[in-house]
Amino acid sequence: MNKGYLCLVLHTHLPYVRHPEYENFLEEDWLYEAITETYIPLLDVFQRLVNDGIDFRVTMSLSPSLLSMLTDSLLQSRYLRHIDKLIELAHKEVERTRFEPDFHKLAIMYLERFNMCRATFVSYGNDLTKAFKKFQDLGKVEIITCSATHSYLPLMGVSASSKKAQIRTAVRHYEKIFGLPPRGIWLPECGYNPGDDFLLKEAGLKYFFTDAHGILHATPRPKYGVFAPIYCRGSNVACFGRDLESSKQVWSSIEGYPGDHNYREFYRDIGFDLDYDYVRGYISPDGIRKNTGIKYFRISGNGDDKKPYVAAVARQKAADHAGNFIFNRHRQVEFLYELLGKKPIIVSPYDTELFGHWWFEGPMWLEFLIRKLYYDQSMVRMINPMEYLQENPLNQVVSPSMSSWGYKGYSEMWLQGANDWIYRHLHEASLKMDELVKAHADADGLVKRSLNQSLRELLLAQGSDWAFIMGTGTHTNYAVKRTKDHLLRFSKLYEDIKSGAIDENWLADIESKDNIFPEIDYRVHQ
Amino acid sequence: MSNELKSNKKSKAKLEAVKPGRLKPRVALRKTPGTAGKVSFAQPEILQEKITVEEAKYFTRPQDALSKSALSNDLPAKYDRDVIVLQVRDPWWLFAYWEVKDTTYRRLESELGNLFDSAKKVLRVYDVSYIDFNGFNAHRLFDIEVSPNAGSWYIDTSSSGRSWCVDFGLRLADGRFIMILRSNVVATPLDGPSWITDEEWAVPEDLFARLYATATGLGGSPVRLKKPWDQLRQRAFSSGGISSGLLSPVRKKGQRNFWLIVNTELIVYGATEPDAKVTVCGRPIKLKADGTFSMRFALPDGEQVIPVNAKSSDGIDERTITPMVNKETK
Repeated sequence: MNKGYLCLVLHTHLPYVRHPEYENFLEEDWLYEAITETYIPLLDVFQRLVNDGIDFRVTMSLSPSLLSMLTDSLLQSRYLRHIDKLIELAHKEVERTRFEPDFHKLAIMYLERFNMCRATFVSYGNDLTKAFKKFQDLGKVEIITCSATHSYLPLMGVSASSKKAQIRTAVRHYEKIFGLPPRGIWLPECGYNPGDDFLLKEAGLKYFFTDAHGILHATPRPKYGVFAPIYCRGSNVACFGRDLESSKQVWSSIEGYPGDHNYREFYRDIGFDLDYDYVRGYISPDGIRKNTGIKYFRISGNGDDKKPYVAAVARQKAADHAGNFIFNRHRQVEFLYELLGKKPIIVSPYDTELFGHWWFEGPMWLEFLIRKLYYDQSMVRMINPMEYLQENPLNQVVSPSMSSWGYKGYSEMWLQGANDWIYRHLHEASLKMDELVKAHADADGLVKRSLNQSLRELLLAQGSDWAFIMGTGTHTNYAVKRTKDHLLRFSKLYEDIKSGAIDENWLADIESKDNIFPEIDYRVHQ
Repeated sequence: MSNELKSNKKSKAKLEAVKPGRLKPRVALRKTPGTAGKVSFAQPEILQEKITVEEAKYFTRPQDALSKSALSNDLPAKYDRDVIVLQVRDPWWLFAYWEVKDTTYRRLESELGNLFDSAKKVLRVYDVSYIDFNGFNAHRLFDIEVSPNAGSWYIDTSSSGRSWCVDFGLRLADGRFIMILRSNVVATPLDGPSWITDEEWAVPEDLFARLYATATGLGGSPVRLKKPWDQLRQRAFSSGGISSGLLSPVRKKGQRNFWLIVNTELIVYGATEPDAKVTVCGRPIKLKADGTFSMRFALPDGEQVIPVNAKSSDGIDERTITPMVNKETK
């Protein structure tokens, strides 16, 4: 009999970056790198587990903006172009490293990985959402949604209809792709503000997550802390709190696994390390060096003298770390079972892109973790939130506290000197959208197209990623540009609709550029 | 509670390196003693790793590399509205932005005459917790005099778990306050556990304290966990930070040690009949259409032997040339 539950949550998101107006666009790499280094390796893990008859549960949020990109034919074909270039480069690397056996082995490893990636991608008809759907339909992965463009809800307090539009558009998009309504949601950045749960209820969502203090600082006090979900007072939507102890083991630079010296060093990439002329064809066409994904070194130590990566040693480390994670969950669960007189649920959410992209061995670690949980023990059982609620329907009713999992636990990451200027523009645009919707209860033709596009531009401007990048303080141009572009496009649409002078050519142009959510309906914004 | 958090030197240094000036809002703040220490709820090193991971996720071009023409025009500086909006930054701090129409100021100027010119611009902050605010029934209020041209301000409320409303207005020389704008009402979260307990779900104080400590990693089980595991493994567990590389331009700032790295590569190139079969070190290679070839090898110290063999397409002619290269580094 198990004494507790483990709920692994992988939050998967990238902002909508798609620039058909350029033949190559550096920031589109965010998607291509995530596909090669994270999404496909994870899908391969799931596939191997299923092949071996291993039962598991993983909860995955896939943000609507990411889903839109994964189903977009232009980005799909560009991904193939991208992986083909990588395969070409890997072939050259296999040759180039012939007299350096340590690197030669790794070059072959990368070549094989890239070929596998291509094969997996093509096997799903270039559409990875089909792969995720498959594992959801098998009952192993529970896919949840997110707000449409990952907008940070606690700073949208005065834009109530925009919040609704974000949630409703997300749910509709999910249904279109997965053929059933989502049951849960990952609030972007775990950002919760009291009352937002009513929006979730209205959209048919049953549960969400907060950071630990969202529940620990709830009123009244939660009897089981973060180790049991609660129902929000009034809406009865369930809320699960993050366990910081298990988070820390994976995130922390001090005690966390990804910092192990045997693991692969993220910052040493041949795109930066090798002779400029040699990598010229594989970096940005305007000559800016960038990551290629081929990295030969291990973290090694705190100094700068990096040693070659040894795959077998890193693999053993990942297995050890998976064992350590389970060992610690056992101690935690035993302790809590005793303390609570009840089976605790340990909710461990991570950014999916941590696995593979940042922590190269992450997907491997996850596979070892799941295999060990399945074969080697019975104290902890993997579970999805919905299953938990079905088995444990009686939970305390409280009002969770405003919180996020960002810097300092509240909204400062998205509200500081570097980015606070955006809110007056975002809020203004939201008011104008309200005005447009009110004036056009049932538009058609060109006006309807303009109204739908207005909502697309507004939602795109609201993504939390832009404020986040501005907040990190370096290389903020792209984020500023995106915020302004979408707001200015919105503003022109607003003026054109109001004056009855819609510029059809221009409209068609931005429809083809900002083509997120083809099925969008502007009337959700009210 | 967070004062007890241990963050080692390394993570602190990183925190500073990555986010220069992050804590400084654009406009002048009233500094509050003690707030800084109170803010961090969660483990700082977890949050720092999150930021690093997300930064790595969003690798973008250098600041000046987006061509000027690609940059957008500017957004309007004003929307011709009388508006003030209040937002919550954390349990203690609020952010307000506002705009006053020119016509509104002109109207006030004609009404107030000379008093208008000497008036101070003021934010009046009302504590409206648990009440239906009508403008006169706030629990308390305080004024902040803002700079004449400010359009936004960070407000230190010095308390958490309260509701707030803010007026923007003029304080006249005779002491009167003329309200111009009234904000939305916001509620700040508590900065600790609630004192309200639930009879049906009662939890003893000491049990809750242990749960709280456990959940936040400030005590309880994690402390007990580490030792047994270490003993089991009988070796020190990984504790290195995620280090940054030396060669990479994305390396963290602050590492300004002078450095030099020299690598060598070897280019082997040649030409033969376009339809010949060529091997290098025994492995077949592809010729370009004109019969030329070029290969590039990383060149470590020591002797490398690189036999290049070409066979004519009919298999009759054959040539082998073997460059031998000896590299020494001193």
